[in-house]
Amino acid sequence: MAELAPQSRRPAAPWTGRQTRAQFAAIAWLRWRILVNSLRRKGRVGELIGNIVVYLVSASIVVFLVGGAGVAAYYLAGHGHLHRISWMLWGIFILCQLLNIQLAQPSTTFDPTQLIRFPLRVDTYVAIRLFFGLLTPANIVGTLMSLAVAAGIGSAAPALWTYALLTLAVFAATNVLFSRMVFAWVDRWLATRRAREIFTGLIFTFSLGIQWANFTFNPAYSNSHTHHTHGISHQHIHFIITVYRRVRPLLAALPPDLTASSLVAANQAAVASFFAYTLACALFAAAFLTVFALRMRTEFRGESLSDAATGVSRKAVRPAAAKLAHSTSTPAAVAPPTSSSSFGVPSVFVTMLGKELLYVRRHMGILYGLIMPIFLVIIFASKFAARSNSIWIFPTAVAYTLLAICPLSYNSFGFEAEGSQFYFLAPVRMRDILLAKNLFNFLLALVEIIVIFGIISYMTGMPSLQIAAAAMFWAAGTLAISSIFGNRRSISTPKKISSQRMANKQTSKLNAFISMSVLVISAGTAAVLFGICIGFHLRWALVPIFAIFAAIEIGIYIHSLGSLDQFALDHREELFTELCKQS
Amino acid sequence: MPFVRPAIVHSAIMPPAIFAHELTRRFDSFTAVDHINLAVEPGQFFGFLGPNGAGKSTTIKMLTGLLAPSFGSIQILGQDLFSNPVEVKRHIGVVPEGMALFGKLTAREYLVFVGRMYGLDKATAAERAAELLEFMGLANEPRKVIADYSHGMGKKLALAAAVIHGPKVLFLDEPFEGVDAIAAGTLKSMLQGMIARGATIFLTSHVLEIVERLCSHIAIIHRGRIVANGSLDELRAGVQARLTPGVEVDPNARLTLEQIFLNVVGGEAGVTHPEQELTWLS
Repeated sequence: MAELAPQSRRPAAPWTGRQTRAQFAAIAWLRWRILVNSLRRKGRVGELIGNIVVYLVSASIVVFLVGGAGVAAYYLAGHGHLHRISWMLWGIFILCQLLNIQLAQPSTTFDPTQLIRFPLRVDTYVAIRLFFGLLTPANIVGTLMSLAVAAGIGSAAPALWTYALLTLAVFAATNVLFSRMVFAWVDRWLATRRAREIFTGLIFTFSLGIQWANFTFNPAYSNSHTHHTHGISHQHIHFIITVYRRVRPLLAALPPDLTASSLVAANQAAVASFFAYTLACALFAAAFLTVFALRMRTEFRGESLSDAATGVSRKAVRPAAAKLAHSTSTPAAVAPPTSSSSFGVPSVFVTMLGKELLYVRRHMGILYGLIMPIFLVIIFASKFAARSNSIWIFPTAVAYTLLAICPLSYNSFGFEAEGSQFYFLAPVRMRDILLAKNLFNFLLALVEIIVIFGIISYMTGMPSLQIAAAAMFWAAGTLAISSIFGNRRSISTPKKISSQRMANKQTSKLNAFISMSVLVISAGTAAVLFGICIGFHLRWALVPIFAIFAAIEIGIYIHSLGSLDQFALDHREELFTELCKQS
Repeated sequence: MPFVRPAIVHSAIMPPAIFAHELTRRFDSFTAVDHINLAVEPGQFFGFLGPNGAGKSTTIKMLTGLLAPSFGSIQILGQDLFSNPVEVKRHIGVVPEGMALFGKLTAREYLVFVGRMYGLDKATAAERAAELLEFMGLANEPRKVIADYSHGMGKKLALAAAVIHGPKVLFLDEPFEGVDAIAAGTLKSMLQGMIARGATIFLTSHVLEIVERLCSHIAIIHRGRIVANGSLDELRAGVQARLTPGVEVDPNARLTLEQIFLNVVGGEAGVTHPEQELTWLS
């Protein structure tokens, strides 16, 4: 080693293009390794199977979407409806943006802003950041669909093949650049927790609005049995047409319509118009790239975002005072072995319930999951208010509510992340912690069901008390069974949940599958029993049957708690490995 | 090593605050901690040192119940950790490697929560939380959730949480990492106050000056084994004795902990003279 030449004594050589290319190669390698490593999971066969199933289903959906886009384009081009391609392109554009929001990006395991510490030029940094975001699932799907549209048009009208490929390639690039631009700025806006919460709230409000619009305007949900609703009313149609006419000129100047117009122009042999429209679309792409580059340039200069940056305490720290004497180790200071709250409930339950309530209040994702069933019950109840067979509404609403509540028990420590270590350090039993968490889920379900009962009673008349009681027993039993699986899965296969990402991307796929299976099997069994009892006029038997089921299930649940302490000790390493890892 | 105390001797009247016998932890074929024996007497400020990857955090995790040993036994204040985990944990406070904070709570909410989980009544937990927040300089942003804290603020909060119930034994894994100098001074005073009132502190830190100033007894772990254990003077004497025969050393000079540490693990860890290595560095 002593023979190494003292190279640093020489003046530094100028930076070369070869070194820049080497940087790109290193980034490409990094991107590839992140992808490969993200597929590697140690010792989790179940999770691997879950991932394979999800990937296969996702691939099937992508093939369907891409194939569907190609076939639809082929049909429209072949039947002289080329101008209607714009509808498809708007669909692709919106789908691409929605998928970008919904699908986790592999690159989230790495913060690309860290790259500024390397000797990069600003243009290289911009190019690298652009490259990092290109291979998201959403962008791949959007680009493939755009190319499928080109292929469909080229197959139906071979003379348009070249034109279609060119203009749709520009469209695909515009689409991708738009999402890169938006997400670069969204990252900046969401640098603070408060902004993230507001944004998440807006997304959820939008999502609820979509649900409302779907139920209101979709003819599939119209109630043909009643005389006062007949699918989409004339007023609705008139309203939609008026809005469409107002925004039509604006839409015509945007990339999907410009692309469609260029195709129509090419079909009419107006080559100059084709290029003019395509160029206009390309200008949008250039504008998006410019705005993206401006953001990246600011990032490159080392702007510091996040809440922690402002977190310096302004108060001077007091010198060590003797005031803390009581809390720093005198034998008398140690807390008594047990302490109870005023109603005789162990303080660990009360404390845990209070903590869980704070977490729910501060997590928009959970709140959304709780609000959604109530919102949909309001819509459903208003739709089916006049139906005679409204007997199923309350049990169905209860089942739908459990769809949101049951998965919570499958990742009980996900929100607490490294904080979960505390439960192993504190003088508490894991059995009590999980019992408190399960109890909180039971209480959430109870509140939800009571609210839903009230809404249905107000809008469609009070459900039969027998049906309501049977549904409540079913819910209690199902939650108990779900918690048995959920408690163990929470410990053995936890998933860290970051507040910066939406919860639905951060649950184990296998856990989601188990949770759904338990619920489906339980609901299916209950539906059969309901059907038999009602079909054979044995409605009186519903309550005792479901009460017995619930008692058995709760009994099994209580029995299962006995082994949780040992199970937690046996699996604490898996728990900490996942929950204490860096985000 | 000549200056490792040959046997663990503990009084029949007062059991050691921390006692580990043949403690071992294997990860597949890798042995992170290899049959170590430790006895920390009540009231000791015990420094546990070692190079990166030596097994410090693994040991502290086993001593606090976060990690199961592959072999060996642990007693805290005379009670077996594995047969009486809840009782043992009542008397210990821990600042673990990952700090174990709850990001969605405010500092006050977190401290009250921790106090309640350790069995304090609500009023006491709230009172101590307020006092600790004031003491740590964290009281002026009551609505801020922990997720928005800087690393140093998180460390201070983790330390506050570790002492809220008045533990008799305190385990601190790198407590001063990322903490500013003023706060570090305050924390050191607080810890010395705890020692004065009879608590036992088990500390790991890479900042040897802090360990030297605070700790009365030190153990050095290297490649999973305890290679030195004793009071600072004992270690100093051991190293001095080893150096004197061959090396020119002023016998009156007091070796610093850094010199002791480097002597004990430096050569074995592959540390060489910098002038012989990396000559291309300017």
